[in-house]
Amino acid sequence: MTDKVKEFLAFHRKREYRKTRRTIDFEKIEPEDLNMWPATVMKQVSEAEDLRLYPQDIFGFNRSVANLPDLKGFHMGNITPDYPFALKFGLGGMTNELRRLKSVNPDKAAFYDGAIAGFEALEKLAARQADEAEKQGNTRLADGIRAILSRPPHDYYEALLTQRAMTYLLRVVRMDHVTMGRFDKYMYPFFLKSLEEGATKDELLEMTELYFISLNLDTDIYSGIQQGDNGQSLVLGGRTKESEDIFNDLSEIVLCASEELCLIDPKINVRVNKNTPLSRYERCTRLTAKGLGFPQYSNDDVVIKGLTDLGYDYDDAVEYTMAACWEFIVPYVAYDIVNIRTMNFPKAVRQATIDDLKNCKDFEEFFACANKQVDAQFAEHIEIAKEHAAREIYPNPVACAFITPCREKGIDRINGGAKYNNYGLHGLGIAPAVDALAAIKTRVFEEKSITKDDLIAALEANFEGWGELRSLLLSSPKMGNNEDVTNDIAVRLMDHFASVVNGTPNGKKGAIWRAGTGGSMDYVYMARGVGATADGRKADEPYPSSFSPSIGVKANGLISVISSFTKPHLVKTVNGGPLTIEIHETVFNHPDGIPKVAMLVQNFIRLGGHQLQLNAIAREKLLDAQAHPENYPDLIVRVWGWSGYFNELDLCFQNQIISRTEYGI
Amino acid sequence: MKQGKVFSIEEFSVFDGDGIRTTVFLKGCPMRCVWCHSPESQTYESEYLRSPNGCLHCDRCLDAGEKETGKRVLSRASVAACPRNLVRLCGETFDAETLCERLLREKDVLDASGGGVTFSGGEPTMQAEFLLECLRLLKGKLNRGLQTCGKCPPAVFEKIAEECDLILFDLKIFDKAAHLKYVGADNEDILINFDIALRSGAKVVPRMPLIPTLTDTESNVNDWCEWLNERGVKYVELLKYNKMAGSKYKLAGRVWNPPFDESIDCVVRKEIYEKHGIEYKIV
Repeated sequence: MTDKVKEFLAFHRKREYRKTRRTIDFEKIEPEDLNMWPATVMKQVSEAEDLRLYPQDIFGFNRSVANLPDLKGFHMGNITPDYPFALKFGLGGMTNELRRLKSVNPDKAAFYDGAIAGFEALEKLAARQADEAEKQGNTRLADGIRAILSRPPHDYYEALLTQRAMTYLLRVVRMDHVTMGRFDKYMYPFFLKSLEEGATKDELLEMTELYFISLNLDTDIYSGIQQGDNGQSLVLGGRTKESEDIFNDLSEIVLCASEELCLIDPKINVRVNKNTPLSRYERCTRLTAKGLGFPQYSNDDVVIKGLTDLGYDYDDAVEYTMAACWEFIVPYVAYDIVNIRTMNFPKAVRQATIDDLKNCKDFEEFFACANKQVDAQFAEHIEIAKEHAAREIYPNPVACAFITPCREKGIDRINGGAKYNNYGLHGLGIAPAVDALAAIKTRVFEEKSITKDDLIAALEANFEGWGELRSLLLSSPKMGNNEDVTNDIAVRLMDHFASVVNGTPNGKKGAIWRAGTGGSMDYVYMARGVGATADGRKADEPYPSSFSPSIGVKANGLISVISSFTKPHLVKTVNGGPLTIEIHETVFNHPDGIPKVAMLVQNFIRLGGHQLQLNAIAREKLLDAQAHPENYPDLIVRVWGWSGYFNELDLCFQNQIISRTEYGI
Repeated sequence: MKQGKVFSIEEFSVFDGDGIRTTVFLKGCPMRCVWCHSPESQTYESEYLRSPNGCLHCDRCLDAGEKETGKRVLSRASVAACPRNLVRLCGETFDAETLCERLLREKDVLDASGGGVTFSGGEPTMQAEFLLECLRLLKGKLNRGLQTCGKCPPAVFEKIAEECDLILFDLKIFDKAAHLKYVGADNEDILINFDIALRSGAKVVPRMPLIPTLTDTESNVNDWCEWLNERGVKYVELLKYNKMAGSKYKLAGRVWNPPFDESIDCVVRKEIYEKHGIEYKIV
């Protein structure tokens, strides 16, 4: 790490600059044409910025205003905006291109005017930022900004600067969770250009590191459920439509920068497939060893097939990226809402137990009842999503300028401008639901060691006075031990879920629902209010994160876990949601630890897993950090699809993370 | 069908040989190393253990044990009594076929990574008949590893070694008197068995635990290096002393009182290995 990077990083880590931001009582301006609202807000905010630069800051566009004017209803997120558009034209060029498109589509003038006004505000902000930089003697930044105002970016620095400015704009107009997509693909030509013009790789690593620090400066004021949940994730590697592996020198530099900086952003996803060499996994495992909770892996063999099965064109599917957490999305052209609703599996099984178990003569009958509860929940989700769609009346042409077909046709996403408008349904608590079903199958129907009435009474009493019955449930077969009973139930439950959800029209033209295996903050929130379940879980206790063994389950081990969790047909659940496993940090200190963890990941992919997220974690450290937060200002943990600072999390999330490490190896 | 007593099956054991491995820990050991970090492995008899992680200290396990046995100890009833499922029986009886079936379930992953299964302990050769049957059942199906202290009648060891693909062989204390004192057994068989292992055709990896002031001394390391050199063995793995060694004693209801100073870091005598041209790796 160079001195420049060290200085900038130390400055960021102190976080003092965050205290000097202003809060502004913005004047409430409500343009008659809703299309003008986002641009108006951009204008208000950008004009209020003091254009501060920090020591060693070569990217600027920092937020000096802590709050934003109200734009309720206009927000959108979890999409990968059209970076190639910005990189092709530059800041001034984008505005001109929008003007040209307006002249071609005069009937869409309202859309284009709304977009152009936002881009003009960005140009003004950029010009002021250049002047301020010059005044402070930062000629590099001043020259860079002026260059991209007048022409397209031509090298790596200018390309990063363009993305920086664009991200500023998008966050202000409420594209929350701005994901960064295939960074090593769209940035690579610019990276090569810089090399060609004499830059060394070390210099470009330094530049990348300074850029990544810039990305972290304002994450405390980005929108999210918890701090860190801001969607700045990027994707490395993966195939092209010609089936070439794009992992390149820039991918390596990104990994290296992330490893040296140990910051929460950008979160890194790596696309792999069954032919990815072990050395790649080893390289990535060295980053995992840092304890940041990334990279997260996704399997091209499964995801691309899954997306084309859902109806995405191959050329789009092959470019897939990750939304803020894990949802597989198609960049640039789609406006999918990937997290619109969440299936609560344990709740479905509990409801079936209470309502129907008494009348079921065998497990098959009961299983059918549980599936009916899944169907009933889905029917509710469909209705609620319709209400959501009815509320989508606020156009956001500035943000939609970064959805290619919206921009080209002048049609906002709310009017169907995007190519894909699908809905994603998370699948929360699959493992505890499978465990509950397996317990009922073995204890109630096969062994008859628990009667139906006792089980129902015990669940309704939240196991008060039913300690031994609960122990029997806790010692029943658990998903993750690679046993036939749980494997079969998991396969059938998920097949049913996928068959009901995938392809169901969502009410938008040509658009559908897609099933997934994720579960975000809901592993805490949606578990609250769900009574005791037949896996032995007590009322309100949290579910595991995404697609993982139940909390407190001591599985046979990681080989059984990856074998079990790759049995279901994951090609049908490409709304995404990773198997999440915790490995004690000491494993990574062992010389054999890195290659062996790499082998484990490679095997997960080979067995047909869709997504994997690994954490190097030390339970003792987390407990100590709860007791003495002052000693751990920079302790980073994976929360759900993102990483954040442990100290900045609510207690319920801290506790969920600690409890899932109880049996980490 | 031979039965054996297993106290743990650990998947993805990173430290017990090549590739991804599952290690089967067999209960019972003929030695009593003063630095032993798994006291629950020493006796052949099963015992109940309570994991401290997540324990509520509600003592319902002991209440149930008392009710069942009349003594305030963990018992069969304690397992069901624990509200967090933390009490377990250490020492489960398996028949060889069932155990091998279970191991073969993960054959795909074990094979694909160049790994396999490792029998460890305790001292696995203590359950020689059971071990032999398992090794024979797995022949040609999984890479079969053995982690041994080498303390076993040579005639028995020879049969076992012939059934192994990989032998991780512990070399502790060379000096006979010191060995007897700190390990609780003589080392004569161990030296003989190492030569048997070398002749068996299995891949042999000598491993030296580095216990501060006991095994990491200049003379001990030098003795072993000379001895390895005479046999043309040019490689050794070093296992650094685990400072958490005492933690399981409480779990097993015993007292940890090591006759050496735990606070001293063990020494890696680089110069001695280099002098003998022996490559070493710290694992």
